[in-house]
Amino acid sequence: MKLEVDQLVKRYGGTTALDSLTLRVADARVLALIGPSGGGKSTLLRVLGGLETPDSGTVMVNSRPLPAGEVGLIPYRRRNGFLFQQFNLFPHLTALENIALPLEKAHGLDRGAARDTASAALGRFGLSSHAHKLPAQLSGGQQQRVGIARAVAHQPEVLFLDEPTSALDPEMTAEVLELVQELAEAGQHIVLSTHEMGFAREVADEVAFIADGRVAEHAPPARFFNEPASPDSSRFLSRVMRW
Amino acid sequence: MNRRLWIANLTAALVVAGLLGALFNAVFGALATHTDWSRAWEYRGMLWQGWLTTLSIASAALVCGMIIGLLFMLGQRSNLVVVRWCCRGILEFLRDTPLLVHLLFGYFVILAPLLARPLGAAGWNDKPIIGVLILSLFHGAYLGEILRGAVESIPRTQWDSARAVGFDRIQVYRHVIIPQALRRVLPAIAGSFVSLIKDSSLLNVIGVTEFFYNTRNFITGTYAGLEGYVPLAIGYLVLTLPVAWLAHWLERRFRHET
Ligand SMILES: Nc1ncnc2c1ncn2[C@@H]1O[C@H](COP(=O)(O)OP(=O)(O)O)[C@@H](O)[C@H]1O
Ligand SMILES: [Mg+2]
Repeated sequence: MKLEVDQLVKRYGGTTALDSLTLRVADARVLALIGPSGGGKSTLLRVLGGLETPDSGTVMVNSRPLPAGEVGLIPYRRRNGFLFQQFNLFPHLTALENIALPLEKAHGLDRGAARDTASAALGRFGLSSHAHKLPAQLSGGQQQRVGIARAVAHQPEVLFLDEPTSALDPEMTAEVLELVQELAEAGQHIVLSTHEMGFAREVADEVAFIADGRVAEHAPPARFFNEPASPDSSRFLSRVMRW
Repeated sequence: MNRRLWIANLTAALVVAGLLGALFNAVFGALATHTDWSRAWEYRGMLWQGWLTTLSIASAALVCGMIIGLLFMLGQRSNLVVVRWCCRGILEFLRDTPLLVHLLFGYFVILAPLLARPLGAAGWNDKPIIGVLILSLFHGAYLGEILRGAVESIPRTQWDSARAVGFDRIQVYRHVIIPQALRRVLPAIAGSFVSLIKDSSLLNVIGVTEFFYNTRNFITGTYAGLEGYVPLAIGYLVLTLPVAWLAHWLERRFRHET
């Protein structure tokens, strides 16, 4: 996966969420975004995922510019996958329908093929026994795993995950992270924001430290975690690693 | 304590039954000399016809009103500010003025002069058609407001997720937002259908031969009293009670779901 983000600016009213953010990733399978809350990780992911249009700046994903308007972004979103922190699933549909409906309506599969593909996606992550449950009948960790199954059912080019485990307890966090690792090892290209430093260190190929709407540091995890170059990132790391 | 409550309930029931019985007895007794149920039987064809008309008017207005309500809701959420304002304006005008005025004004001043001739030429009776149209608009305005509230109560994450899986704007509404919004407001919608059925009686002012219109004709024609009003009340209750029960049932079911 190749990313070229140049001078990206996104403002919400008075707050500048992304402040001329520039980031170049030549070739990474897993890119982890870390940094303090409010630093701009979610906003960057939303722009990369085609859910938010920036005020200025350019974004190229795998050497193709991000489409400009809402209409152009729809096929882009269909090509990729996105998972939020929580409440990803549609509460009125079963786990299986949550996966099958987008395959049918957004990807144009016929109903039978959509259901087969959805079943296969659930089976792949050991979720078959939950196929006919509503999201409210699943634990938070199961919901996120179904969410990931939905996001990868159509074999996305890039999977974007915005703090996929922040709303979960440690055990559920582990089950979701294991799944993400499995995907990464299978070759899925992933950009995720996370507060799980151990996971970022082990699974990511590159880490970008984002604070105040900019990339303060960008390095392979070994270097980033052992000898952080910027004072901001070393202060952040010493604080989150302390406990 | 259970036993005492039971006795208290029984006593209260007996007292209420006694009072109601006495009241009914007094009223019906006083009117008995003027009440002749065979007259209502003679007019049963006309009353039945009116009841059927009311049923079809209410059903048609229910469907049209729902469509208009959806359009009002979408219009108020349009990206175009002009569309939003227009919808808002029309909706406030419809909601904040009496249905009776809409019917009289809309029919006699606006729609009948425009449509009566072409509709008549096509072999249609313009009165029920225009009546249903006005009733649908009026109730569509209420439904539009109910639906808008429901749609706005759907959390942002659902809109985001729906966009993230690749749905276009129409699919977001059709597959994600509207099904959830409808679940939330089904009780309120059922409740507003009860009003719609009752309001359909106002169509008598433009001469639609619905249930109330025919019953009133029967009453004025025969100087009927209770034998006119009792079937009228029962006829409306047969239509409204099931819907009201449905509303309560949905409300309870929804409470369990959340
Ligand atoms: N929809 C929004 N409306 C207003 N402000 C927002 C919105 N989304 C994010 N922000 C602001 O943008 C900044 C960056 O937020 P975010 O990208 O969520 O950071 P992070 O994910 O790193 O915690 C914060 O100051 C936040 O308050
Ligand atoms: Mg965030």
